[in-house]
Amino acid sequence: MLRRRFPEWFVLLLPAIIVIAAVVLIPLIFSLYSSFTPYKLTRPSTLWTWVGTYNYEKILTDAKFWAAFGRTVLFLTIVLNLELVLGLGIALLMNKVTWGQRTLRTILMFPMMFSPILVGFQFKFIFNDNIGLVNNALQSMGFNVALPWLVDGKLAMFSIIFAEVWMSTSVFAILILAGLFAMPRDPLEAAKVDGCTPWQSFRHITLPFLMPFIFIAMTIRSLDVARAYDIVQIMTGGGPARRTELLWTLMSRTGYVDARMGLANAMGYVSILLSIVFTIYFFHKLSAARAQIGMGG
Amino acid sequence: MKRMNILKALLASTSIVAAADSAMAQDWGSFDGVTIEAKLIGGEQYEGLYARIAEWEAATGATVDIISKKSHFEIDKEIKSDMAAGTTDWCVGSNHSSFAPQYEGLYVDLNDLVPAEVIAEFVPGIIGASTVGGELLMLPRAQFDVSVLYYLKSNYEDAEQAAAFEAEYGYPLTVPDTWEQVKDQAMFFADPPNFYGTQYAGKDEAIVGRFYEMVVAEGGNYLDEDNRPIFNSDAGQRALQWFVDLYEAGAVPAGTTSYVWDDLGQGFASGTVALNLDWPGWAGFFNDPEASQAAGNVGVAVQPMGSVTRTGWSGHHGFSVTNDCENKDAAASLVMFLTSEESQLAESAGGSLPTRTAVWEANIAAAEAGDDPFRAEALAAFAAGAEYAFAVPAIPEWGESTNLVFPELQAAIVGDKTVEEALNDAAEAVDELMRESGYY
Repeated sequence: MLRRRFPEWFVLLLPAIIVIAAVVLIPLIFSLYSSFTPYKLTRPSTLWTWVGTYNYEKILTDAKFWAAFGRTVLFLTIVLNLELVLGLGIALLMNKVTWGQRTLRTILMFPMMFSPILVGFQFKFIFNDNIGLVNNALQSMGFNVALPWLVDGKLAMFSIIFAEVWMSTSVFAILILAGLFAMPRDPLEAAKVDGCTPWQSFRHITLPFLMPFIFIAMTIRSLDVARAYDIVQIMTGGGPARRTELLWTLMSRTGYVDARMGLANAMGYVSILLSIVFTIYFFHKLSAARAQIGMGG
Repeated sequence: MKRMNILKALLASTSIVAAADSAMAQDWGSFDGVTIEAKLIGGEQYEGLYARIAEWEAATGATVDIISKKSHFEIDKEIKSDMAAGTTDWCVGSNHSSFAPQYEGLYVDLNDLVPAEVIAEFVPGIIGASTVGGELLMLPRAQFDVSVLYYLKSNYEDAEQAAAFEAEYGYPLTVPDTWEQVKDQAMFFADPPNFYGTQYAGKDEAIVGRFYEMVVAEGGNYLDEDNRPIFNSDAGQRALQWFVDLYEAGAVPAGTTSYVWDDLGQGFASGTVALNLDWPGWAGFFNDPEASQAAGNVGVAVQPMGSVTRTGWSGHHGFSVTNDCENKDAAASLVMFLTSEESQLAESAGGSLPTRTAVWEANIAAAEAGDDPFRAEALAAFAAGAEYAFAVPAIPEWGESTNLVFPELQAAIVGDKTVEEALNDAAEAVDELMRESGYY
């Protein structure tokens, strides 16, 4: 009798495959299935009603969803660029520090150690129009104003961007600093001998070398920021009048408060497109940047 | 003042001991060895009652295991997750009149478990608001909510200010009795950013409830008999215009659209808001010198009128028994105990409003006979205010509809849309929800 044997590599990987299937694959398939149903948490029987692409059609024609989608892209773009510029600046300054650099690096990571919910509450208080620190500081400097930081469309967006940037700029700084540490000194010294200005050295030697690190940071942060939820939910809840509504505040309200999990899952699958597009774009740029400094494609 | 607090504490503990004595005397049944799992609302004003559970345990031999204690919004999410996962074999859950219709099939009809004479002891309107589709889904605890008008008394004691107001608005400055007067006075008193005329809840269900009661006060309604949205009527537009006018005039804090109950309570307690429509639970806090800068300066009046009637959005808390509970009799006994006359006397001693007729009467008599004129004034206002109370539509879609409506109300308030555009957009969205839900 022939007894079929699984290849060794498969047997060795089987426990991992089972675990991943249980915690990732099955929930993924289940949520994809439920996005084709009118599944309401409070009416479990609705899970077995097939409505085809109804939820997707509803989303694709829903101006509110696309407004939240567009706002998320805008939020993502501004946050990533600000974090990059500030992170690069901090890393370059940090690289010049000769004494106490380790302590500084630890301090730099403090904001990352806070839970996003705490950061949300902290900035909700700081930007409160009535009892907040910022307005009180402005008033004690003689400005008799109460700026509605969390209400005005532009100020509210600024406030949540500020909180997000405050918390996560150090991710960029730390990754870029790692790049600076790994950088060979020879090209910089050669450039100095050849009479390059500091700007020329930075623009043509340091920056190209750092680009792979920057794109890795960009990829990681783009996935994080596209899922921004805690800080926004605490600070503005997506309001007022949907002025700060992002994909995840919309999705969580639809799924958990309105209990329309089928619709929320459909929103989730459409919004995954955003993360996929950004990831492909940054990986493409990463390969190009690696090729440019001779690290292969 | 400390002596007063000690006195109050002693009185409260005396009433609890008295209530405990009678609890032992009443027959709550015998449920030896039974464990009742409960999911209860948490928070300072709700906790006092749970201390009494030990009395019920001693009387019945059963044990209560509180497996979850959270705010109502968190409990709501947890219960919905339980319903989705089918893990609803716990027995007793906190419930609220605004949430109850959502939990289809989760809770038993208490008419089958609670004697009719016990149900008859509650205020009939509140039993009506606890009944969905003919089923009594919860027994109400002493946490009945209808808002009244809190105001700073000092604003009405300044002759110069009164003369200036009368010169500008053409009628004497007295505590407002209509929402138009509230608007005039709020604009008159406002001196932003140091002092505001009034404030209102600005997001979530809170602002929709406030808008809803204004629509009713203006002679309109939120939904018609078929559950079609009709809040974009003329009455609805007048109601929303009131919020918009106050915001545009700077008579409310600029951040009011992000405020809910805690922000509003703290705002009035900071002494920087002249007029504040708020819930009964805040009365004690507002007049507590250790918590509130407005203490000693707080007046309480019945809620003002719109052009047709007074506002009166109301709700109440209660306890329900799940269908999947193994020992429903024990669970019903616990619910009856938590909502009994003794429990309501003890709970309402903290300032909340009872839902039993006899306890209302006892509280008013005690306040009149006592030496706390503020408490007597507040209770009289609540009693008058309760006459205009109405509950939200008893349909599962109420909560979801508020999520569609509140961003539109905000859009009108902050000037992104006109009142008419905002209400039409909101009505269109609610119409789609009602159609999808199969009402018409």
